[in-house]
Amino acid sequence: MSRFNAKTYRGCGVSTAFRAALLSLTASVLAAEMPARAHHSFAAEYDASKPIKLSGKVTKIEWTNPHIFIYMDVTDQKTGAVENWALELGSPNSLMRLGWKRDSLKVDDAITVDGTLAKDGGKLANATTIVLASTGKRMLAGSSGGNQVADTQ
Amino acid sequence: MVRLFPAPCASSGTGAPRSHARRVLAIAIALLAFTFPTGPTAAQWLGYATAGVPRKADGTVDMTAPAPRLADGKPNLSGIWASATSNRQKKPDDKPSNGSDVGASREMSNFGVDLPGGKLPYQPWLVPIVKERTENLAIDDPHIRCLPDNFLRAYGLPHMLKFVHTPGLLVVLNEMNAGYRQVFTDGRKLPEDPAPAWQGYSSAKWSGDTLVIDTIGLRDDTWIDWNGSVVTEAAKVREEMRRPDFGHLEVKVTVDDPKAYTHPWTVTLHQRIVVDAELIDEICLENEQFVKHTDALQSVPKK
Repeated sequence: MSRFNAKTYRGCGVSTAFRAALLSLTASVLAAEMPARAHHSFAAEYDASKPIKLSGKVTKIEWTNPHIFIYMDVTDQKTGAVENWALELGSPNSLMRLGWKRDSLKVDDAITVDGTLAKDGGKLANATTIVLASTGKRMLAGSSGGNQVADTQ
Repeated sequence: MVRLFPAPCASSGTGAPRSHARRVLAIAIALLAFTFPTGPTAAQWLGYATAGVPRKADGTVDMTAPAPRLADGKPNLSGIWASATSNRQKKPDDKPSNGSDVGASREMSNFGVDLPGGKLPYQPWLVPIVKERTENLAIDDPHIRCLPDNFLRAYGLPHMLKFVHTPGLLVVLNEMNAGYRQVFTDGRKLPEDPAPAWQGYSSAKWSGDTLVIDTIGLRDDTWIDWNGSVVTEAAKVREEMRRPDFGHLEVKVTVDDPKAYTHPWTVTLHQRIVVDAELIDEICLENEQFVKHTDALQSVPKK
């Protein structure tokens, strides 16, 4: 069993208010680092009040426009149940301009993802950052969170 | 061979300070590597140096250098352009982009954000339509459905535009959906009763160093911002385009569309130069999943 299989929704051991403040600060820093590139309204699809952290193994990569999708298996540590999650990233051109290559992530790579949960209740999240376990490299995922629409409406 | 670091220093004898320095350097590099995204690579012409860019002694782009000129002496508008403003920044950015920091413009959500009242002068029939589109977060936006972006909207979206300017023709390439727009500067008149088109029909002439572009023949209900503001077939659009220096492009837009607006309105858009970058395809229909993912879209009537 991978050591990166923990399903770590929002962490534990700290207050909700603290977590919310920390995540808000993180989102602000990331927004300052990279202007969001959104093909569609972030707020229509994702719930900014529901940050999520997922760890697991990459099962599929769709290096496609207008947004890249990465699929990963996440194992619940308590039950052992495996769920396949879809992660929406930025567009290939925006990620390439941030230094990504098509093979920056590969199937079976162990990753930890910070992102935002979809509103539809499915196993879908908008990825903000991805940490590759083998190298520890933290990569911005071109999240559309914090885009103009989300900020102004 | 390119050396990333200075040549090693001569041995100090003990080796301890050198070892400590190496540890500090390693930690610093690790922190940088773990904190920031990786830099652009040489692939796909990312980082390929743009020719003809005026640079200062320190190598940075001289944004205020004179604008280049065409063979006929008129300003050359060629270059890759991206929005110089954002909803957080009204003042145009005085730094060039390398493509990694392209964002949406101040007017992307609301073209009339800086007009009196903070909105465009909508005709009464358009008011509830824009209200609904704004409140439902633009779920029926043609852009989301991978349809082309009108040129007015393209200025503000976070996609780069490449201007290819010759004395008789200005071509604008849009990396989103590999779009294009033609602006003729060969003196032709605008067509009579044109078939509506996404970019309309554009003819331009010079007024001093300002290129005055007139456009007609746009499609009805063409969105020009994320709130769902539109132009219609009745629209006459004038752009007064000037390149005051190397790094900036100003586009003063006047829209006279009595079908959609109670009176003509004018908004000035600001673009900044993008250097050492190239357009990269963003073909929306490859794998657009927003419609599938959003339950709310199920209630949108299918045409």
